[in-house]
Amino acid sequence: MKISTYLWKRIWMTVPVLLGASFVSFLILRLTPVDPAKAYLAVSNIRPTEEAVSAIRAQLGLNEPFWSQYAGWIWNLCRFDFGASFYSKLPVTSEFYHRLPITAALALSSLLLAILVSIPLGIASALKKNRIIDHACRLLAFLGASIPQFWLAYLLIYFLSVKLDWFPLQGADSWRNYILPSITLALSLISTYSRLLRSELLKSLDEPYVLYAKARGFGMFAILTRHVLRHAIRPVVTAAGMNLGKLFAGSVIVEQIFGMPGMGGFFLESVFHRDYPVIQGYVFIMALVFVFGNLLADLIQALLDPRLTLSNEKGGGR
Amino acid sequence: MLKKVKSSRAVIILTLIFSIMIAGCSSNNKSNDSSVPAPSSASASPISSNGTAEDKTLTIAWPKDIGPLNPHQYAPNEFFAQGMYYEPLIDYGEGGQLVPKLAESWDISEDGKTYTFHLRKNVKFTDGSDFNADVVEKNFDTILANRDMHSWLGVISQIDKTEVVDADTYRITLKNQYYPALQEFAVVRPLRFLGAAGFPDDGNTANEIKDPVTTGPWVLTEYKKDEIAVFTRNENYWGTKPKINKLVVKVIPDPEARVLTLEKGNIDMIYGEGNISLDSFVNLRDSGKFETAVSDALASRALIVNTSSGPFSDLNVRLALQHAINKQALVDGVTNGVEKVADTIIASNFPYANVGLNPYDYSLETAKSLLDQAGWKLAGGKTIREKDGKPLQIELVYMGDDEVEKPMATAIQSDLKQIGIDLKLTGLERQLRNKRMEAADSDLIFWSTYGAPYDPHNFVSTNYEPGYGIFESQQGLPMANELHQQMKDVLLTTDETKRQEFYTSIFTTLHEQGVYLPISYLTSIAVYPKYVTGLKFPAHRDETPFDTLDIQK
Repeated sequence: MKISTYLWKRIWMTVPVLLGASFVSFLILRLTPVDPAKAYLAVSNIRPTEEAVSAIRAQLGLNEPFWSQYAGWIWNLCRFDFGASFYSKLPVTSEFYHRLPITAALALSSLLLAILVSIPLGIASALKKNRIIDHACRLLAFLGASIPQFWLAYLLIYFLSVKLDWFPLQGADSWRNYILPSITLALSLISTYSRLLRSELLKSLDEPYVLYAKARGFGMFAILTRHVLRHAIRPVVTAAGMNLGKLFAGSVIVEQIFGMPGMGGFFLESVFHRDYPVIQGYVFIMALVFVFGNLLADLIQALLDPRLTLSNEKGGGR
Repeated sequence: MLKKVKSSRAVIILTLIFSIMIAGCSSNNKSNDSSVPAPSSASASPISSNGTAEDKTLTIAWPKDIGPLNPHQYAPNEFFAQGMYYEPLIDYGEGGQLVPKLAESWDISEDGKTYTFHLRKNVKFTDGSDFNADVVEKNFDTILANRDMHSWLGVISQIDKTEVVDADTYRITLKNQYYPALQEFAVVRPLRFLGAAGFPDDGNTANEIKDPVTTGPWVLTEYKKDEIAVFTRNENYWGTKPKINKLVVKVIPDPEARVLTLEKGNIDMIYGEGNISLDSFVNLRDSGKFETAVSDALASRALIVNTSSGPFSDLNVRLALQHAINKQALVDGVTNGVEKVADTIIASNFPYANVGLNPYDYSLETAKSLLDQAGWKLAGGKTIREKDGKPLQIELVYMGDDEVEKPMATAIQSDLKQIGIDLKLTGLERQLRNKRMEAADSDLIFWSTYGAPYDPHNFVSTNYEPGYGIFESQQGLPMANELHQQMKDVLLTTDETKRQEFYTSIFTTLHEQGVYLPISYLTSIAVYPKYVTGLKFPAHRDETPFDTLDIQK
């Protein structure tokens, strides 16, 4: 099967996934016991009089039957319209418009940083197994996995922003604002990816083709870059694909601490406010990111080793 | 050869992905660059050598965006921003004194129903237009068009008709006498005034405004949603102009980050209720680097005691609760003394609230004796009291993420254990907690009053109107009907002496019946470097002190 056919098939398969995710989120929201009209009044710090609750429910369209609300939402979605926020009254798309790029930039820069640091670390610790550099990488992996993100964020702010004044403390005005948050998010990924790559490299280095390549006189650098790495990196690609969605959805604490007006804090507030249109829109976007992240990872896998896709499509496996 | 092509294809794809990532970052930067410029430094620049005006910029941190500055709507408009930006007809001063603002004076008809406001002359909006009775009418038209939304505010429900008498005179007629009307004209929203040019074409501000046109001392000159708002002094302001000429509001959602930003010198002040943890406040105070201040009582933190069912339907158990809680230890231990011990549900600095009630003393022996009288006995070898074989168990609902309620709940649990009460703690998310409160579905629940300028009249209406859980919690009182009738009557009486008598009776009944357990009085805090001077906390809970602040370096 051609890559393009495979790609189209995968893209079409995302439609039921997205519909399913949207329906489940829509249903769960309406099963929660809190009335969004009362939630709005509580956030506004005003007493929920009967008249006010009823006026807001009518304004928000909450008196419509469930299926009518869902059909309306899907219809609007087809026109790239997520509705208007219950809270700000602004279109959800415009609320996302200035926040999504910040979260996307943060997630992608964190992933990029994690990959760029993990690859040399993984290679170095595999080639220098049980030497100082391997132990240092193991320590880094241990720290990355065990330090809570919020704590790391405060440490970085305190030493690098407050004390040394190397980086801006708050906001998302320039690329410099992204450095500390990216390090915060990337550290735990670096620990995972570098250890994953190390173990895959060690496995691959024992393969007969490596011995054969050595026998043919290839240098270690050439063997690594031309043969071993493209096999060993596959689990890292899969993990990165899955982490892309997690980074988008899981950056809330880091965004809050670094004062970045991204999607995380906005979504969290929307949950507290029971802002249905925003929550539904967010779930849809996140489902899209997760699906896209996995699709991208699979695509890269297929390009790294086309046998995977082709043999799977034939139903035989390897 | 084939392998080489495939591997180079993979490299190209990877490079493309990374390029997209970088492009994402850089395009974002570009869009940021094109937005509103960042404010000037937090510090004030010195007087220039040629004697031109000083640039006194005060930068503060706030957890949320200021919102669209719509004077007639609620969230996501921030109270503080609406309060400092727009002006009312009447202002709420020290001790609840009502002072003229956009109304120079007012008359009340003999029947107490008609209020005639004589508007201040020569007041201009920031777009140069006049403030007059026509624009007041335009504002009242949109407020009354959304009357249901504002029905929580008694005066809105009471308005029968409005009338432009002449350019400088505006008249409001109420359906009934309603004494808090004047006090309610001082609230921050929705009774403040937008200039005509700020209205949308249909004249209804329910969803949006065109432009925040105000008569107030500040003009919004720069704004970047969720990041920054810059207010510049209105040089044509009719009243006393602020001493600082620029106020920068930086949005910093995380409380610890706000503290770090202050320590770094990127902001000049942290102000408000709950904007930083009380531990951080004490650390900053003790550091000696900053001035700190705490306001007078702004509102009350209390437990609502459910008299309608369970152990608290017995007066003696309610009184035992009053004696069993060591409030001083609670306030010192949890709030580091930032909040003040509350002996009454409404602090005595509020209008009509200084009625000479005797506080309940902290006495475990008295509490135990009252429980014995109520029939809840401590059997030998047991730690929890029982009555008819049933243990004395009660539930306290608190807001799960509230950094004060949670430790207070734990301390109360420990206090009650000493007198043989088993207190179950239930921490809930805000909306679920509200639902439990409305259903009066708990023995005890944390609650705070609305504060100035809403109380005490708003407090009493919250007590007598069904639906919020307070009225329902008071159904176990033998005098509930009489009490609630007094609460309704007090809002309608125009006789000052009679009104005070009603309030005295209401507060005395609530106190003697142990309907609330007042714990502490909420306060505002301020932390700032020494070069910031002139801090004076407003009496109004939602107002800010920025008009009086100065910077002297």
